[in-house]
Amino acid sequence: MKKAAKAKPTGLWPLRFTLNGKKVSTKVRPTQTLLDFLRIEMGLTGTKGACLEGECGSCYVLVDGKPMNSCLMLAPQVQDRNVTTIEGFAHNKKLDVIQQKFVECGAVQCGYCTPGMLMAAKALLDRNPNPSREDVVEAIGGNICRCTGYEPIINAVLDAARSDSRRRA
Amino acid sequence: MFYQPKNVPEALGLKAELKERGVFIAGGTDIVVLMNHGKAAPENFIDLTHIPELRAIHRHNGTMEMAGNVTHAQAGKLPIRCLAQAALSVGGPGIRELGTLAGNLATASPAGDGSTALLALDAEVELTSVRGTRRLPLEKFFLGYRKTALAPDEMITKIIVPTNYKTDWAKNGKRGAMNISIVAAAVAITPKNEARIALASVAPVPIRCHKAERFLAENGLNGDSIRQATEIVRGEIKPITDHRASADYKIHLSGVMVRRLLENLVKS
Repeated sequence: MKKAAKAKPTGLWPLRFTLNGKKVSTKVRPTQTLLDFLRIEMGLTGTKGACLEGECGSCYVLVDGKPMNSCLMLAPQVQDRNVTTIEGFAHNKKLDVIQQKFVECGAVQCGYCTPGMLMAAKALLDRNPNPSREDVVEAIGGNICRCTGYEPIINAVLDAARSDSRRRA
Repeated sequence: MFYQPKNVPEALGLKAELKERGVFIAGGTDIVVLMNHGKAAPENFIDLTHIPELRAIHRHNGTMEMAGNVTHAQAGKLPIRCLAQAALSVGGPGIRELGTLAGNLATASPAGDGSTALLALDAEVELTSVRGTRRLPLEKFFLGYRKTALAPDEMITKIIVPTNYKTDWAKNGKRGAMNISIVAAAVAITPKNEARIALASVAPVPIRCHKAERFLAENGLNGDSIRQATEIVRGEIKPITDHRASADYKIHLSGVMVRRLLENLVKS
């Protein structure tokens, strides 16, 4: 039997995964959270950290299409997985339709929760293209926003679901 | 060291070697929080997230066997009402994709939402080590506040529940989402018409209310017996006053929740 892959906590772990559609092969400190790895080592600071205990959702990324709190994952846990961050949302400098609807609906105020909200919204719409208002509320249940009162965010996600460009995509 | 085994025997071999010095990590929703707050710095991790067999769910002879790493998101889709409801009440969608049923049991939190549902279902846990496999009723697995029957070389490999109980579940907390329960309650009625009552956040571990269950077994399930059983439940639990609610409130609430759940279940 092949022995389990291993690395010292202080040593480096050979991490291979797909990040925003590109294959990445690098070395990580195995006790570093995925959040810190993305922000500090990969320079992708769109993903935010706040509570560091899974309460606020500002650190959401998509792992194999599912929303996950990157502050609670250790970087080597995404070995061979497909990770999407907010930096992977726009295509050829054109905003994703969900981003566009966030802008149009005034769903962004301070902006700190926005990347996490967009992850939750994308995971929902990819799974359920015609969500009810309750579905949207449920999907963003793990994301805290202290500015908007949530209404514009819920409306933006519903608008994105209804928009033609998303239907065609 | 950080280890990422690809199958259960490999993981058990590592755990047998490292014992308490090796920490299993799956969802990370407890251990990484402690690390983030500087309260833990495990020497060795054994990552269980790359073992596909630990995500399996099998139905078989009236039972459902869930492997240890079945997530709350997976459990939320199961046709077992109390378990699905409990699973869907845990955290938000991101936490539910990460956190596992076995992790919830191993943490042995007094407020374990999943634990109440599994207790009411007479769940059994399969514990495996390089020495072999044993099965325990879940009630025997919880030994005390955050203490379990897991030996230092063991892993929760399966959780086994029946599929033919009628069940329901409820939780009361201060807000609708992302909530630790003030009281969580699960009830079930077995095919022999026996009641099962489980509560969390009212004792050092999630518990079954055996006195009330026995009373209902002797007196049948009807409006009167349920009301009397509710009083027995209130006498059987020992909640503490904490920042979530007073002990008196939790005792009162437990009775109300159990009564409503049982009444609805008997009617349905």
